[in-house]
Amino acid sequence: MNDVLTKQMARVNLYALISRILMKELDEDFLEKLESDEMMLSFFPNYQAWEKPKELSKKELLESYLNVDFTNLFVLHLIPYESFYMREDQMLETGGANPVLQFYNTYDFRVQLEKARSVSPDHIGIELEFMYMLASSEYKALESGDEAVACEIAKIERDFLRDHLLQWTLMFLQNVKAEAGTPLYFDAASLALEFMFNDYEYLHELITEEGCRYAQ
Amino acid sequence: MMNESRRTFLKGAAFTVAGATLATGVFESVAEASKEATAEFTNTPASLDFYPPLEKWDSFRELDGDDWKRGGINRKGVRSDDNPDGIEVHDYTIVPCVCSNCEAGCGLTAWVDKKTLTVRKYMGNPLHSASRGRNCAKGYAVESQMYDPDRIPFPIKRAPGSKRGEGKWVRISWDQALKEIGKKMHDTLKSGDEISKKSIMYHVGRPNENGFGHRVPHTMGLDGYDSHTNICSAGARQGSIQWANDDRNSPDWANAKLIFLQSSHAADAGHYFQQSAGLIADARKKGAKMVVLDPRLSNSAGIADMWLPVWPGTETALYLYLANRILNEKDKNGDDLIDHGFVKNWLNWDRLMANREYLKFMVTKGYISKMPEDESYESFIEVMKELYAPYTKEYVVKECKLEGQEYKLDKLFEMFIEAGPKIATYIWRSGAIAHRGGWMITRSAFLPLALRGAMRGDVGGVSWHHWHKISIGGKGDAATVAGKKAPKVEVWNELAWPPEYPLSTYEMSYILPHLLMDEEWQNKWRARGLNVPTKLAVWIPRMYNPVWINPDGFRWIEALKDESKIEMSFNLSPTWSETNWYCDYVLPTGLAGERHDQQSEPTKPEQWTAFRQPVLRVALEKMGWKPKVEHRGTLEAHIKAGLGEIWEENEFWAELLCLHVDPDGSLGVRQYWESRKHPGKPVTVKEYYNAGFSLLPNLKKAAEAAYPDSEYPCYEFMRDRGAWTEKTNVYRPQEKELEFDGTYYHAHGHKYHVDEVEKDKFGVLWIVDHEGRKRSIGVEVEGKLYEGFHTPDKKLDLFCEWLIDWKWPEYALPIYPRNEREYDKMIHIVSQVHHRYINQENEFCLNTVFRLPYNIHTRSVNSKHLMEISQNHNPVWIYTKDAERLGIKRGDAVKIRIVDTVSGLESGYFIAMAVPTEATMPGVLACSHHAGRWKLKNAVEIPGFEHALGVMGLGAPLYEMTMDGKVGTLKPKEGIDEGINKRPKSWQFKAFNKDLDNIWWDGLSGSWQNAVAPVHPDPIAGNHAWNQKVILEKAGSDDVIGDIWVNYENNMKTYKAWRDKLTRPLTAQDRERRPYWMPRPAVPLSKKAYSCTIKDI
Repeated sequence: MNDVLTKQMARVNLYALISRILMKELDEDFLEKLESDEMMLSFFPNYQAWEKPKELSKKELLESYLNVDFTNLFVLHLIPYESFYMREDQMLETGGANPVLQFYNTYDFRVQLEKARSVSPDHIGIELEFMYMLASSEYKALESGDEAVACEIAKIERDFLRDHLLQWTLMFLQNVKAEAGTPLYFDAASLALEFMFNDYEYLHELITEEGCRYAQ
Repeated sequence: MMNESRRTFLKGAAFTVAGATLATGVFESVAEASKEATAEFTNTPASLDFYPPLEKWDSFRELDGDDWKRGGINRKGVRSDDNPDGIEVHDYTIVPCVCSNCEAGCGLTAWVDKKTLTVRKYMGNPLHSASRGRNCAKGYAVESQMYDPDRIPFPIKRAPGSKRGEGKWVRISWDQALKEIGKKMHDTLKSGDEISKKSIMYHVGRPNENGFGHRVPHTMGLDGYDSHTNICSAGARQGSIQWANDDRNSPDWANAKLIFLQSSHAADAGHYFQQSAGLIADARKKGAKMVVLDPRLSNSAGIADMWLPVWPGTETALYLYLANRILNEKDKNGDDLIDHGFVKNWLNWDRLMANREYLKFMVTKGYISKMPEDESYESFIEVMKELYAPYTKEYVVKECKLEGQEYKLDKLFEMFIEAGPKIATYIWRSGAIAHRGGWMITRSAFLPLALRGAMRGDVGGVSWHHWHKISIGGKGDAATVAGKKAPKVEVWNELAWPPEYPLSTYEMSYILPHLLMDEEWQNKWRARGLNVPTKLAVWIPRMYNPVWINPDGFRWIEALKDESKIEMSFNLSPTWSETNWYCDYVLPTGLAGERHDQQSEPTKPEQWTAFRQPVLRVALEKMGWKPKVEHRGTLEAHIKAGLGEIWEENEFWAELLCLHVDPDGSLGVRQYWESRKHPGKPVTVKEYYNAGFSLLPNLKKAAEAAYPDSEYPCYEFMRDRGAWTEKTNVYRPQEKELEFDGTYYHAHGHKYHVDEVEKDKFGVLWIVDHEGRKRSIGVEVEGKLYEGFHTPDKKLDLFCEWLIDWKWPEYALPIYPRNEREYDKMIHIVSQVHHRYINQENEFCLNTVFRLPYNIHTRSVNSKHLMEISQNHNPVWIYTKDAERLGIKRGDAVKIRIVDTVSGLESGYFIAMAVPTEATMPGVLACSHHAGRWKLKNAVEIPGFEHALGVMGLGAPLYEMTMDGKVGTLKPKEGIDEGINKRPKSWQFKAFNKDLDNIWWDGLSGSWQNAVAPVHPDPIAGNHAWNQKVILEKAGSDDVIGDIWVNYENNMKTYKAWRDKLTRPLTAQDRERRPYWMPRPAVPLSKKAYSCTIKDI
């Protein structure tokens, strides 16, 4: 795999990872994958040092700690939706007028809210998975040697990060870090924050007026 | 050079699992729906219009709302056989109709789902120029009423052998009802004598149509129409009639600079409020101020620029205070505040100044100190200045109980003057119907407005209703064999127009049971030569529930149960009601979207009309369905669509009168109901309304252009649009010039030869009509001829000269007691709840006449939606300090004892819940009389029908009643527990009633205070004066909220006391029953009917 594809694969996987964690409650299958993958685990330093995963079964860990924390952070106390942070009136925009939905629609992406267990398409998990979808498409384009298409997709990624995710997730994820009751969600919030800013910087450098400088 | 953190993130490329296995996967690929199928839909509406354009109304497709909000059509495409998960697309026929849940006549559209033949929603009608596509909560409630689980599904009749009120019913067909009722009416009419023409009474509650109901008794030659108006608005109408011989005023809210309201009517709950409120909001947006006079802090008062809590019934004093200041003060430039141009030309001051005898009378009464120098306008102004000078600020503060709020009076006057002639008001229920002399409130209210020129009917001011209203509902004659209106009725019915109340604004309908049961009264007038009926052969309430809504309800029950007084009764009623319970037949007729009516109301300075329709029928006909019997189309359509055997009055009356009451035409009735186009058959609604609407020239022109090949163009035009505006900007209509071509005067669509016309010294043109009566056709003002107002003198009658002849000379001018002595002398215009009668610390005035925005008198109980939002037990509002003084806390049960201030008798009490509040003034309790429904059985078993028919399950608790001819009681028994909560699955309209298991309210919406209230007939206007003097006590340990106890024997005595102590009945000197030019509403009467000879005994 060349460098370009490696970089792109890293982006794809990281968006997949953080979108999954921030989307809905985790399950045993995910924990299995996390703990059996050193590379993945390396993004969660505090979790690695936490004794509970060693003491409890995965089911117990989920039911007694992780899912409780998720509920506290994403359902009860914090609002993981963009419109809450962006609208003057702090109302959730759940309908067709949501600009994020319009963004998805523009590029023919359809959200299944039931599956996401969200009330609105501007949930942080959904927005991150959208980035994952874009990055995957970009990867495929690069894989088939079509840099021009890949670059178009990269521009969409940049715009979506700039106009949506980076507009509000700093506040939200800082709140998650402040409120988190388990190391996993603390680490996940840190990872998401750092990665998004880093990725925006990457895209900003990648995209020029003439095209994308993948080879750099 | 790659930075460190980016290098760290590169580790992501080395995950052992691919991103695809980590991601949740909430995105799916683009829906497969074909572009063609979805092309008409967008993910978000292209615009925010509520309504599609008219051309799409016959077939309008819309996505199901649940799916729309989840992302639009691209998500799953449109549902079809190939795509079962797609979004449901509803295919609607949008049929316009008119709301019927208050009097405003706002436009509605019914969205009829073609697949299920149900109305999925009612919205507004954007083509209705007054309601402008908007409705209030009551408008949207029509759907829940339509699919009420306790809707009466077919005609029922009192079970043979049972007594009225036993609650035993059998199912009958419409054919049987028509046959039996038709025979009784035929047998009554065939004798043809005077009494037969007074023996059938059509008693209409909220008519919501313009003339059809009047036509029913008229074509039978009957003086047999009773309206509900004398418990509703007749006091206000009397004041309007005295000023303008017009039924009510009509303001131009939208262009006013001052919105001047007495009560919350117009702005938040009352007459025409949805339309008026929108127009008032338009005016306020442009900077108009709003003042609300009301003892209660209504929603309107709460948002007004000024709230003036005036002691109920003393508003007259405040209006005369304004008149005093306008007359006696100057503006900052030293000019008069009076609009002399208008007053001099359009008020009948000249008649006052010419009547020397009356001026002398004024001197003897102390109204003025000396005779005026001459008959000039200037002398008139001097008379006025002196007449109203006593109504000073000090006086009005004391009279209206405004101590501490004196500053408001100066502010009010300032606002009044600043607005110039652009002051809009609508004097309607509230004070005018609450008090003895309520009519004088209206009379006085218009005085300051007239002095400022606001009564000219110009932009932003006040005009009169009939210029802003279209009445063609009774004028479909051209479609009938007769081809013309029926002749005037020849008899006078004392049961509606008793001789004690010759000036009554409307029928004395609320004392019908008293008159029927008072044989002493009947004998007295029979002995004096009047042929007073002693019973009714047939009594027909329509959309009316007098047992519950009228005062003295137990007296109503007594009368209705007495088969010797009312031989047959049938209620044309869309819902169960307390009155139905005591009738012989209940014939289910349609609600707002289930009947034909022409309705027009004076809600803005234009002429609009709307057309109420049976929407399921119209939708079915548009889909190609045809009724088997054309003149039963509405009934057949409702059966076809699964609504039940629900009919409508139009078709019912046409068939009853044509085929059953007068099958061979021998009574002369049939010709008015037989189709000209299809002789032998009743006239159809299409024929009838096509003829009626054709009378409007602009509508006719538009209809013929739009439907050039139609058999019924005007009908179809209105069927498809539901509303039409015949004229806009109807301003200063009295100034329409009257044409004189040298030979003929042309006025009001007629021409009069110059030799027939006589001009009097006041410039009024008179003719003599075919009955030999003098009638005016126009008036000369400053050398020009105008049509003028509707008074005989064609001016606004500041001076009601005819009141002198009709025994009330002291009230011929707006007046109010100026001192203690005059309270007794002018008792007829002093409220029965004046503060002079409230002396003890637990005595109060009970303010009853305010509407609740979500209630519809007697028609809310069939609406799940309205019942849910109205569950507040209609508490008794009590001023905080009053409550504190009496130790009453929020939620306490209190006993409200009603005491009459004329008879001195106590009527009984009701138990209600107290709510201490700053929102009612000290000394005045508030409890709307529009709540507190009851029933005596939860359900009715119909032999042979598998389901019991629930009775008002959604909102009337079960009560126990006792009555012995003297005392009546009502006690709540079990709420709505057994009535609806134990049967959460409706047998009918299941799709609309899935949530019956979710009823959280207990159904108790208040106490039936109307039954405790004795009747208070105003001695002049005839209307019931609703407010009561009450004594407030804490409820006893056995009392529960909802209890009432009534001594209705005392109530009968109170009725007689008001009649005997206050009225000035007809005497042997009288030759007519009523001023002939003062129109009797509903049925036109001949000179013979007006004439009377009364013996002195």
